Amino acid sequence: MSEPATYLLERSRIESAHTMEVARKHGAYRGIEKVLREGWTPEQLIEEVKDSGLRGRGGAGFPTGLKWSFMPNRAKDPRKRYLAVNADESEPGTCKDRILMECDPHGLIEGILLAAYAMGTEVAYVYVRGEYRLPYQRLSNAVDEARAAGLVGQGIGGTDFACEIWMHKGAGAYICGEETGLMESLEGKRGHPRPKPPFPAGLGLWGQPTTVNNVESLFNVPFIVDRGAHWFRTMGTEKSPGNILVGVSGHIEKPGVFEVPLGMSAKQILEEYAGGIWKGRALKAWFPGGSSTGLLPASMIDLPMDHDSLKEAGSMLGTASMIMLDETACVVRAMEVIARFYDHESCGQCSQCREGTEWLHQIFGRIEAGNGRQEDIELLSSLASGMAPGKTICALADAAAIPTHAVVRHFRTDLEEHVRLGGCPSAGATQETVGAAG
Amino acid sequence: MIEITIDGRKVEVDPKQPLVRACHEHASDVPTYCYHPGLSPVGSCRICQVEVQQGNGPPRVVVACRTPVAEGMVVNTQAPGACDARRECLEFLLKNHPLDCPICDKAGECDLQDYSFAEGQTEGRSVEPRRKLEKRKSLGDVIVLDQERCILCSRCVRFFEEVTEKPQLTVSDMGARSVISTFADRPLQGNYQGNVADICPVGALTLKEFRFQARVWNLRKSFSTCGECSRGCAITVEVLRGKDVKRVRPRYSPEVNQWWMCDTGRFALEPYEGERAPAALMRGNEGLVAGDPVQATALAAQLVSLHAPGAVIASPWVTVEEGELLLDFARRVGAPAWFVSPAANGLKDDLLHTGDPCPNRRGLLELGFEARTAAEILTALPDMDTAVLVGERVVELIGEADLDALSSAVRLVALEARPPQVQGIVACLGVPSAVERVGTWVNVDGHRGTIAASRAAALGVPPTTQTIQNLIDALAPAEVEA
Amino acid sequence: MDEVQEQVPEQDEHKDALTADLRAEFDELVGHYPERRAALIPALHRCQEELGGWLSPDVLEACAGYFGMEPVEVFGVASFYPMFYLYPRGRHEIGVCHNVSCDLRGAREILARVCEVTGAQVGGSSEDGRFAVKTVECQGACTAAPMFALDGAYHENLEVADVERILGGLQ
Repeated sequence: MSEPATYLLERSRIESAHTMEVARKHGAYRGIEKVLREGWTPEQLIEEVKDSGLRGRGGAGFPTGLKWSFMPNRAKDPRKRYLAVNADESEPGTCKDRILMECDPHGLIEGILLAAYAMGTEVAYVYVRGEYRLPYQRLSNAVDEARAAGLVGQGIGGTDFACEIWMHKGAGAYICGEETGLMESLEGKRGHPRPKPPFPAGLGLWGQPTTVNNVESLFNVPFIVDRGAHWFRTMGTEKSPGNILVGVSGHIEKPGVFEVPLGMSAKQILEEYAGGIWKGRALKAWFPGGSSTGLLPASMIDLPMDHDSLKEAGSMLGTASMIMLDETACVVRAMEVIARFYDHESCGQCSQCREGTEWLHQIFGRIEAGNGRQEDIELLSSLASGMAPGKTICALADAAAIPTHAVVRHFRTDLEEHVRLGGCPSAGATQETVGAAG
Repeated sequence: MIEITIDGRKVEVDPKQPLVRACHEHASDVPTYCYHPGLSPVGSCRICQVEVQQGNGPPRVVVACRTPVAEGMVVNTQAPGACDARRECLEFLLKNHPLDCPICDKAGECDLQDYSFAEGQTEGRSVEPRRKLEKRKSLGDVIVLDQERCILCSRCVRFFEEVTEKPQLTVSDMGARSVISTFADRPLQGNYQGNVADICPVGALTLKEFRFQARVWNLRKSFSTCGECSRGCAITVEVLRGKDVKRVRPRYSPEVNQWWMCDTGRFALEPYEGERAPAALMRGNEGLVAGDPVQATALAAQLVSLHAPGAVIASPWVTVEEGELLLDFARRVGAPAWFVSPAANGLKDDLLHTGDPCPNRRGLLELGFEARTAAEILTALPDMDTAVLVGERVVELIGEADLDALSSAVRLVALEARPPQVQGIVACLGVPSAVERVGTWVNVDGHRGTIAASRAAALGVPPTTQTIQNLIDALAPAEVEA
Repeated sequence: MDEVQEQVPEQDEHKDALTADLRAEFDELVGHYPERRAALIPALHRCQEELGGWLSPDVLEACAGYFGMEPVEVFGVASFYPMFYLYPRGRHEIGVCHNVSCDLRGAREILARVCEVTGAQVGGSSEDGRFAVKTVECQGACTAAPMFALDGAYHENLEVADVERILGGLQ
């Protein structure tokens, strides 16, 4: 079987690819130069991205070209507009945007420039999570290099195309990865998501039209422009074209971030890329796309990793960050950990999320510690149904509710055994330090 | 105006207001916590969920405070999906909310309690320990905060930010650890703090002044007007067992004070300490002693008939109705009609303060009274034989000690609420205070506000209008024109 | 910390908690945004880095003055974000990730060893003031788990023995 084509990580593998000189030598900025040289209109560029079928890589999978087209018509709405690059990568299990920023920052910059060209956003802010020191550094240096080369700022490539790029640091809140939470934080406030409508394209940063795009989404754009939408569609599936960066972590031999075509089965990724479950053990449970996508049983490992297949299976692609649990692992403990995460990260605005994430955490904690009751299992489902879908300002409540429903659906026995036995029946090494919840 | 359907009834609603206003105006009890008509809507508490259906779209459950109304919208506040959503939301709010009702001042007027009673489950499902937070945190002289009761609606935060335009509170920390805080435990400042206790939907922010003073269902409430300045905020005066004014709260008035009032007015509950003037006091050998009102009236009438008063001086608390009668009286006795104009009180801003501690200045001026400062009055009095001082606090505003220092060559008749310690007063007829009589004041903008008799006046003290009429009737027949 | 008269709207009488260098940095930063306040969080990061590893009330108040905000607003913002300390803490901050990918590969053992070696409790500082230990949520090092961040620098693929080696000699 031939190796699938790759492009996303090609330059990252090259030493010093984070520098302008090396990056340029290996194709960086070809796309924007092509657009400027051939005189593409912004509409043409949007069409190309639409035709490619590229879907957002931040977790929601919304078609990128379509999102760009939501920005108002420039003739009708001449207000200044902004691009916010969501580099707040905080979904548990996810560390792929980090690699792109650390190893190939110029690729991202080019993606930003193309997005800015398409939407007329003269200023782009890159909102980098506060903990990502090296990615911030590399990207910041790369922006400086690009500015010096006349590729960022005014009069790019000798044309009247302008795009300023400013770096901006977050300060540790997962909710600032939510696009409206990100905007609030960028404006210097608490990261409280905003109700939608109004949508960012109409009323975004400082009330102006704004689009928020994920790092990996933007990273794809130069390749689409350089090699064509057609080429992009030769990879992946019809509804989820292109390659995607899949992170595989947890109980495996070779944890890592791998570039695969969308639609490859999780089993193939696990076995051929991540070396299979470690220590000769069997798979018990896995998250397909970060903690918010919920646990799936080992029996579903054949699922293709694409948006629609996982949705049909009752889960989601999310950030395509697979987290694998072996046969000795405790799913209840994993749930306590992620329930604690949502409890910690809720901004606190919505009653159901603020109280619900705390409550779910407390219940999982009790069950894990052996103080669970049979009615707690029904209560988990009931609370999760009270929190989502669509009942809160943003989807953090959904992110806590979906895994809760999933564990009750797929691992009810595990929960019931904890209740019945007053503790964890699993005898694995990871259980040596079972203690009080949290 | 546009037409929508709410719970099966076609109604006309203002397209500029969110759906929740339309629901409230058309008698649909949709609960709200974070929403307040005087503050920007945030849509965070999620309690106001209702079902709406538009055009051919499917019905959706939305928060009414963030939903604009649209022509033809069909709203069902009692749809099962909406009721379930509200009930779920309520359960989440009650999960950590302490069972403080028995000791909480807000009981009886608490939005959370009311909705729990209307829709809540009889038992909560949580067995988790409730959050332990500060329960009696002083936020200064006016407000005390109970962080455990707080449901983080953020109305208080928005009040300071948007209405007083000076942020003083914030939500600090995040998620389930959020609490309302000031900066570095500094006390709240300014003269509008009491409003946050009104708008707090639960008993998290309460008034120190009112703490444990009364159960609200024992308070008799009447609609009145504040007398502490010429803004004349619409208020509700709340009296316990017919005796003590326990609380004064603002009443919504779009033309005057919206939903707010200042702390000066809010805490002016009982301006008179000590005893109140009885129906009549007359000067005898031992000073002013209680007497027969008919006699005292006759004595006063005789005095002013024989010696025309140099002036009839009203207190700025005198109402329009009293003022009309007083003018008639002044004309009959041939005296000019003045009112005491107090000095500016230094409180002036763009919100409610007018700087003029005078509830009926405009009303009295429009009737034809002339304003005189206390100093001008005291300068003029020594040249008078007699003068008539009318209305609560008139003696205090002119200056009790200064009046007393005038020789008793100037004979004074007073209609007052407190027994005056002024040697020149030969007769004093008791008058009710502003919470004990009815009447009209005209505020700085010409708005007419009524005051209510929230409680009975002291025994035997008739309304001031009656007392003035009695005086008129008691004047010598020659003065009484046909 | 020097007191310097800058071109600011109002100058406090009491000692200015911000250095001239910081103010100069902020002057440059605010130029990136259409509203000054947007530079607040990057500015708070710099304050924490330069002014003792935490944001004291004086610092928050000085930032409020710089940005034309009320101190309570700055406090509300600073208290929201887990990376900001509003109380003094040990010199070296160790953030041990205890989210799921790290938990699956021994984060609890790493955390326990960190507490042992530093003498600090989780969420606290060591008595000698050298260390502050806290648990943190996913740091984006999932494929190199378990990990901790020491003064912001990631130490990944940790084994229990590494803890002493990395932390042992720190002052």
